[in-house]
Amino acid sequence: MSSFIRWVRQSTFLRETGITFLSISLAFGVGCIILWVAGYSIPAVFANLWKGAFGNRLSIGQTLTKATPIILTSLSFLVAFRSGLFNIGAEGQMYVGAIAAAVVAAQLHLPAVLHAIVSLAAGGLAGAFWGWIPGYLKARRGVNEFVTTMMLSYVAIGLTDFLVAPRGPLHDPKYMANQTARIDLTAMLPRIMKPTQVSWAIVVAGIAVLLVWYYLFRTPSGYELRAVGKSPTAADYGGVRIRRKLILALSLAGVLAGLAGAGEVLGTHFRFVDGFSPGYGWDGIAGGLIARAHPVGAIFAALLMGALRAGGMQVQRSGAAPGDIAAVLQGLVIFFIIAPTLIRMLFRWRRRRAE
Amino acid sequence: MSIWELLGDIFTIHLVLATLRLATPIALIALGETYSERVGIINVGVEGTAVLGGLVSALVAFYTGSPWIALIAAVLAGGLAGGLHALWCIRFRANHVVSGIGINILIAGLALFITSAVWGWRGTSSYSDTLNSWYIVGAMFVLIIASQILIFRTKWGLRLRVVGEKPEAADTAGINVHRTRYVYTIVNGMLCGLAGAFFFNNVGRFTTGMVGGRGFIGIAAMVIGNYSPFGALGAALMFGFIDALQMRLQTYIPSQFSIMLPYLITVLVLAFLIKRAQVPAALGQHYIKQ
Repeated sequence: MSSFIRWVRQSTFLRETGITFLSISLAFGVGCIILWVAGYSIPAVFANLWKGAFGNRLSIGQTLTKATPIILTSLSFLVAFRSGLFNIGAEGQMYVGAIAAAVVAAQLHLPAVLHAIVSLAAGGLAGAFWGWIPGYLKARRGVNEFVTTMMLSYVAIGLTDFLVAPRGPLHDPKYMANQTARIDLTAMLPRIMKPTQVSWAIVVAGIAVLLVWYYLFRTPSGYELRAVGKSPTAADYGGVRIRRKLILALSLAGVLAGLAGAGEVLGTHFRFVDGFSPGYGWDGIAGGLIARAHPVGAIFAALLMGALRAGGMQVQRSGAAPGDIAAVLQGLVIFFIIAPTLIRMLFRWRRRRAE
Repeated sequence: MSIWELLGDIFTIHLVLATLRLATPIALIALGETYSERVGIINVGVEGTAVLGGLVSALVAFYTGSPWIALIAAVLAGGLAGGLHALWCIRFRANHVVSGIGINILIAGLALFITSAVWGWRGTSSYSDTLNSWYIVGAMFVLIIASQILIFRTKWGLRLRVVGEKPEAADTAGINVHRTRYVYTIVNGMLCGLAGAFFFNNVGRFTTGMVGGRGFIGIAAMVIGNYSPFGALGAALMFGFIDALQMRLQTYIPSQFSIMLPYLITVLVLAFLIKRAQVPAALGQHYIKQ
């Protein structure tokens, strides 16, 4: 029994999850205050938030559909984060991956399954290229990757918009909308929870979680990558080729974000649609932070974010409050989660009063 | 049309005026970031802080009808965001970049929520009376010159630079490291709030996309300007010029290309024109008093 208590007190896992849950509770508490100040009914908002996220089969489907790309963009953020870099350009890498996947899925004609895999790979590769650029600039020229990943996101969104706009080379002439032609049946990721939009993309995301976990914690290369993030000088001393690792980290981040985009095209929209993402790339930053940079945590963080998105839509429909209260809650969760010292202080304060 | 006529069509006095206007928020943000990074605090929340400045401008102008009160409120709100960032970085020892990201995401959410709640339109406010935005352009020049003198020619400037370079030495010399960091991070926030107020006064209402990455371009301008106010102004003028140029070019090339031009140029300039800047030695590090 005493050894169990010692384990509980010393377990980093429990401490980390404890901090996470306390942060989330604190964020929801502050969210309530905001709702109260703004004059909305707190019970109505939370009832609709729950209903929209988990109320029935359809809403669970919504949550899972929205969580799928966020799992991948969260992984994208956290792989770079583990190497000490900030990839805040997952949104752009996702757009580039999505358009590459859409082109391969519509223009190449291959047997089923193979076609989907090739299209996914195309998306991952395109994303990798978009991540490689800031990685290369960081490693070779010392350019701040925070600014470049962000700037390249805007470039990617503009570039893809140009390609699919009327008169653009990839525009589908059958419609006025800025989108590509519909992809081949053979390239589609089958839906697995009809009538919702949940597709095999969620399985792809799950496999990516396992692979990233295995890579980071079970391979020498992943160990070196984390070493660079923890202490570049020590890693350098230990013979790690730091520059290569930085380029690799951002390229991998690009692969994961590119897969998120490919999954949206192959599983959800069946074509590249301009503006298809309501901000999944930015959500990945939040997801990676809420997951505290752990790949398995990314699943739960993405579910939380997907639930907030799906629930926020229901809050909006019901008229209980503006649906963007979900975005406020998301911001608050992050704000508390990034200051572990704050949570620990509040926690200790409570314990002392209990004594 | 000959090439000279075309060039004459693009390069007009309006282009110069537009350059000055568009450079103003970037210069203010770059100046603010110069202050906070000089004392060792990285603040990537400048983007969100500028959004907050615009939002508060619109809110206060809407409720009071006075653009001057709105301006003051925007500056104060920016200072509040800067103070929050400083609190998180100094007191709670959050990673500086992560805290800045948190500020950006939180304010982006708040902006959508508040615009919906107050005006009923997601992400936009109604139009209100504004100031002539040239006042803010003028204020920017005054602030840049005053800051150049303050940072490099006064004892306060020496103190703030020591805090960013060698906090231990500053502490030994009797300078309050934490207080200095709080003060200049709040100053950074106030300047970003002013930049946000510029965006509002420039068009007469607030929209969530109006800052559109100019905060990050401001950080780039700070890097290019090598941590000096004059350098920040120079880089901001370059970005303002590119921005003004792309607006003129929209007549000639697809708008998607011209819109992404400033972002692309930022990457290219950072990649090819910049020698490694002289980064303050204690940048991003927590100072724990022995």
